[in-house]
Amino acid sequence: MSILINADSRIMVQGISGRRGRFHSLQMLKTGSQIVGGTSPGRGGEWCFEGRLPIFDTVRECVEATNADVSVIFVPPHSTADAILESIDNGIKTIISITGSIPLQDMMIVKSALKNSDSILVGPNSPGVLVPGIANAGIFPSHIARQGSIGVISRSGTLCYEVLDTLKQADIGVSTAVGIGDDPITGIDFLSCLELFDFDPHTDKIVIIGGPGGDNELKAASYISEHVTKPVIAYIVGERLAASLLRPFFSKSGTRSLDSLGKKTSSLAEAGVLMATELAEIPSLLHR
Amino acid sequence: MKLQEYQAKSILREAGIPLPTSALATNAVQVKRVAAEIGYPVVLKAQTLEPGRGRAGGVRIVQNEDEIENVSNKIFKLVLNQRPVHSILVEKAFTFSKEYYLAITSDLDAGTPVLQLSEVGGATYLEPESFKGAVVVERHIDINYGLKDYQIRELMANLRINPTLWKQFQQIAKKMYAVYRQFDATLVEINSLVESTQDQLFALDAKINIDNQSLFRQGSFCESFESSNFSWEERQALKFDVDYQNFPGDIGCMVNGMGLAYLTLDQLLSLSALPSAMIDIHGGATSTSISSALEMLLVSPRTKIVIINIYGGMTRCDEVAEGILQALEGNFPKKPIFIRLEGTNGDSVLESLFSNENLTFFSTTEALANAAVAWQRGDEQ
Repeated sequence: MSILINADSRIMVQGISGRRGRFHSLQMLKTGSQIVGGTSPGRGGEWCFEGRLPIFDTVRECVEATNADVSVIFVPPHSTADAILESIDNGIKTIISITGSIPLQDMMIVKSALKNSDSILVGPNSPGVLVPGIANAGIFPSHIARQGSIGVISRSGTLCYEVLDTLKQADIGVSTAVGIGDDPITGIDFLSCLELFDFDPHTDKIVIIGGPGGDNELKAASYISEHVTKPVIAYIVGERLAASLLRPFFSKSGTRSLDSLGKKTSSLAEAGVLMATELAEIPSLLHR
Repeated sequence: MKLQEYQAKSILREAGIPLPTSALATNAVQVKRVAAEIGYPVVLKAQTLEPGRGRAGGVRIVQNEDEIENVSNKIFKLVLNQRPVHSILVEKAFTFSKEYYLAITSDLDAGTPVLQLSEVGGATYLEPESFKGAVVVERHIDINYGLKDYQIRELMANLRINPTLWKQFQQIAKKMYAVYRQFDATLVEINSLVESTQDQLFALDAKINIDNQSLFRQGSFCESFESSNFSWEERQALKFDVDYQNFPGDIGCMVNGMGLAYLTLDQLLSLSALPSAMIDIHGGATSTSISSALEMLLVSPRTKIVIINIYGGMTRCDEVAEGILQALEGNFPKKPIFIRLEGTNGDSVLESLFSNENLTFFSTTEALANAAVAWQRGDEQ
């Protein structure tokens, strides 16, 4: 039916009483997702949304009381790593960080901790995970997709919305949409999502949406050519740009290699992936 | 944020890494006085964040007092990438036998710090490109354990570096790593680290880049660098938590999310047009940051037309609308604003904007870019 989350997922929200946390928790509730509670340190014991959701001081208390197994994080960037580590420590299976712009070295600490755990981190700077009509763990606009059999994986949140919108206009449904996040350092990558989608019986085809910087798409290309059995369609934005124009975009966040610019499209094509040169092409490639 | 050489060196010196004696000077008279104190020969090094300093003549060895004014005046006249040179680092010059490259960098794909070491051919004070083609050995570091002596030894043994130097290398690398951690650096680089004739290692040149996303916790020490190392736009962007990037065109762009930034860029490039600037307001921007971002585009002299391309998830369209209206109420130059606004709370807010005569609405990125480029070309004729 879906990857990462499903109808039985018990979703909690870290930072549920903040401006963004409160707003989007209500949106998720409205779309019928199974939200079981949230944390807001110092406000444990209170309730929000007219008594619909309990607030806890810690993830530990929330998990003990609600059996939450998915956590969506809205806390500010400076405390996001702490929130992720708290979720890892308390056995949350799928951790989704909507917050982005996390200090780089905080994320390095998180990456190291993830290696020694069973938790999966989606993001940071992720729009979340959406299973249309079933569960919305994040900030996807609720009307954006209908149920179906296409798996969608995107680095960029806004581009993911664009693609979902395009699919919906073409009357194509989605099994799960995953925004893996566009921060310099992120958790789950294309490769792991491809693996999950390939084993998901309710997904027939997979769309990946990539962009410049890093080697995420290249790793995906070699994985697809060796392992993935389902058809994959890809749209890589920014390949028209000259590396010289792009470089400054990346200088802010370290030394992410741009060597791959232009190579992503060709490596994916060689791996048998159908390449869309613009968004509008994706539906017709899916119909092939 | 990139640090200038003298700023990076002050941090490394404080950390106990051996460096040649040096001092900063901001005019030719100062250069001469400082050089006399340090003792000839000296190296004069233009302080700049722009690349290509060596090739442009910004690094010069001066043997005696006779040449010093002439050389420093020439360096002060240099303009690199439109930025003039305001200061010169005057440094004791000495002879050395071997050069090394030693750095702590960041591997964003793996999400770890990386220790890099290389033996550089051809000792030179000029642009450190001589190490291209040299063998660089590297070691990923688990940040939760830190850099260990054995990891440094592995690299030194691999390159067959003389074991009498190992202890010095280990001390320097560990101090660099401590600086990397303490200052939230993305890069701490010594290029080059030289072996003096007395078998002592010295750092001749140093680079430190600090993670912008961590500047908030770096305090006043780093804040003091921001005014000299950032442009007005970069400081505004940092203050209001947006990304700002200059381009050579005349269409000012405001988008949310890097993906939409690339999509918009792709669309403009396919029409052979370029932005003047691209501002990414990120997810969840407040009306204040949106208003400030728009203000930056309205006051930019190169920007003739503004396009706003927002698909709201975290970004609420009502916040965007409020921010736009705030900026339009300000006393800024009037420019046409083409806008596309979709997503969370989208429908409810369009009405509040529709009545504004400065704004024109579009429903897709393609239509938005086409219209902006058509307007811009019409304006030129």
